[in-house]
Amino acid sequence: MEERNVRANVSMPDVVLECLMPYIHDPRDRASISLVCRRWYEIDAMTRKRVTIAMCYSTTPQRLSRRFRNLESLKLKGKPRAAMFNLIPHDWGGYATPWVNEIAESFDCLKAVHFRRMIVNDSDIERLAQSRGHQLESLRLDKCCGFSSDGLLHIGRSCRRLKTFFIEESVLLYENDGEWLHELATNNTALETLNFYQTDIATVRFEDLELIARNCRSLVSLKISDSEFLGLVNFFRTASMLEEFGGGSFNEEPERYTVVSFPPKLCRLALPYVGKNEISIVYPVASSLKKLDLLYSLLDSEDHCLLIQKCPNLEVLECRNVIGDGGLEVLARCCRRLRRLRIERGADDQGMGEEEGLVSQRGLMALAQGCLELEYMAVYVSDITNLSLEYIGTYLKNLCDFRLVLLDKEAIIRDLPLDNGVRALLRGCQKLIRFALYLRSGGLSDIGLKYVGQYSENVRWMLLGCAGQTDEGLLEFSRGCPSLQKLEMRACNFSERALVTSVMRLRSLRYLWVQGYEASPTGNDLLAMARPFWNIELIPPRQIVGANSDRQVIVSEQPAHILAYRSLAGPRTDFPATVRPLHPQ
Amino acid sequence: MSKAMVELDFFRTEKDLSSSKSFDRRRSFRDLQSVISKMKPELLKSVIESGSSSSTPKQDPTPFAPLPIYSPTNSKSVSSSSSDAAARSQTAPLTIFYNGTVSIFDVPKEKAENILKLAVENSREDSSKAPVSSCERRRFINHIARDLPMARSLSLQRFLEKRKERLIGAMPYGSPKHTRFRTGRIRGYY
Repeated sequence: MEERNVRANVSMPDVVLECLMPYIHDPRDRASISLVCRRWYEIDAMTRKRVTIAMCYSTTPQRLSRRFRNLESLKLKGKPRAAMFNLIPHDWGGYATPWVNEIAESFDCLKAVHFRRMIVNDSDIERLAQSRGHQLESLRLDKCCGFSSDGLLHIGRSCRRLKTFFIEESVLLYENDGEWLHELATNNTALETLNFYQTDIATVRFEDLELIARNCRSLVSLKISDSEFLGLVNFFRTASMLEEFGGGSFNEEPERYTVVSFPPKLCRLALPYVGKNEISIVYPVASSLKKLDLLYSLLDSEDHCLLIQKCPNLEVLECRNVIGDGGLEVLARCCRRLRRLRIERGADDQGMGEEEGLVSQRGLMALAQGCLELEYMAVYVSDITNLSLEYIGTYLKNLCDFRLVLLDKEAIIRDLPLDNGVRALLRGCQKLIRFALYLRSGGLSDIGLKYVGQYSENVRWMLLGCAGQTDEGLLEFSRGCPSLQKLEMRACNFSERALVTSVMRLRSLRYLWVQGYEASPTGNDLLAMARPFWNIELIPPRQIVGANSDRQVIVSEQPAHILAYRSLAGPRTDFPATVRPLHPQ
Repeated sequence: MSKAMVELDFFRTEKDLSSSKSFDRRRSFRDLQSVISKMKPELLKSVIESGSSSSTPKQDPTPFAPLPIYSPTNSKSVSSSSSDAAARSQTAPLTIFYNGTVSIFDVPKEKAENILKLAVENSREDSSKAPVSSCERRRFINHIARDLPMARSLSLQRFLEKRKERLIGAMPYGSPKHTRFRTGRIRGYY
């Protein structure tokens, strides 16, 4: 012990470090600490509480448990992000089973599990519930598939301390009955968050929801599927602590909804299928609303304006582009505290009442000047100018996450390419960590793509669509982006050789996804990026048989995908027929 | 003879799964423009030939025999009186996409045939020199990759379909306001 204290600048005693370590939470700080020396690595390993594995095939369950025995919280992501847009084969992978098995065997302190875009079976849920149910406080099956309502029965039966149960946007194999909810309602008194929003769960007994409200006095958030809203009146009366509600649907005559009265603390709301005749139920709580989700509402542009005017405390808004430039101008005037804004793409076809809803540079410029606190902005626009992007760079200094998609509604966008606007935005928004730009042919020239590389020092994730013109653009881009860890590209049409060269230059890159590139028949050019700890997978071109909205059978061509990622686990062994691993042999 | 708008729909692409039947002509123009502007004539011909096997021409193709595919889309068959018909019998619009431009001409039938023959002959001349290699063909097909249709998120897709069902369900009963909607239970794309 004395030897270590001999020199003045020697590392501090272990005891001190062990006391300090639990206060260091940021994973990047932890990663740096673990590299100092073996002893510091060991202390970090013993005291690390939460780990997020952004790509489940980048390591193995055994490696994880060997290093971080005392984990309390684990988050895993499986399928590529493109799976949320129906671009990835359903059986691509991301199986939870090996992880659940390891959790059951080794992770004695685990309290929180979050699987995102993974395949989770009923047997996985059963194993998890039976082995760790007594200690589990949070379970999130986030955009997962592969389980049924039978699997969910185990949650109610075995996870009595569960505070958070979340299965939003998961796709169930089948739904036998609503027993799982009844089990949960009967056995659990700890629930704070219950979420089965955007699932197809149809059998929901309102009595069970009321039972949960009575038993779980800490219930703060409930988000359900499409049950009739009128059935919730009693629930709202009972759940007096409720702050967040989402779900339900409006199928009765509008006058009947006057009986709906929200709990006093409600400040986050998501109302699918709400129309102009029912939206008035929100008015009594509008001034307290901090978060509003109108993504699945049936409101038109004017309705949006009328509602938003009443919500001066709004911090988070999600809606479709039916909000229109007019709605954004109202937002800029009335909602100065706005931090997060997501504007999604509405219907393309006519007759859905969304012809008015167009977002363009006009709305963006108003927004930039009015909502200075914005940290997250994702917008589908129908028109765009360089100037509006400059405005964003000038005013929105807190922006960490910016995503812009240019719709193909307008045949001609006058102010392309957006090179200068993009440069101004990147230079102005110094805190930017995530950046997505999905344009069209001619939207960003090779010079513009070079700017993106030059001015995105802190960006860690990027999605580029139709960016650049030739391989030159990509090669110049890859000279920059020093922090880029995850890169997704679609419809950019670069050659395999350019892709490979860029990958080798982007020194922080640990994940690459590309669709729409100059694919060679064998993909062998891609092997030039083969190296240790780097998995390369190909999803060759496929023909997808599907149906359009008029129930006509359509065969569509899905071009090839490249997926490449850093891994300590070696090439994976559970890939389906649609995935072809590439390694030099 | 009805005034039919004839469009040479080379690719018969209906890529966007969520688009409705109503033909968005502007979008189709742009799609076709951008792809055609990158084409070589011999490549174009080979694609037409390969596509012709799957084409189901809706009408008798004989007026424009040299090109194997055409599908009169959005044809507004104007019910005209015989005098009008006589006046208009001579010319019909011919739409040509070439090198990134679109031109529409009102030409009599014979002239249209001649124009098309000329175009095909010219392309035939070039193609006789060098057969289209499969590598070139693949590069051409990959240029289509550049115009990948924008994908929509699954949650929104589901919502838009459900909404359509609700509206369609409401119509037969008259006033949509007082109709009981059925909450559509659409299985997602899985």
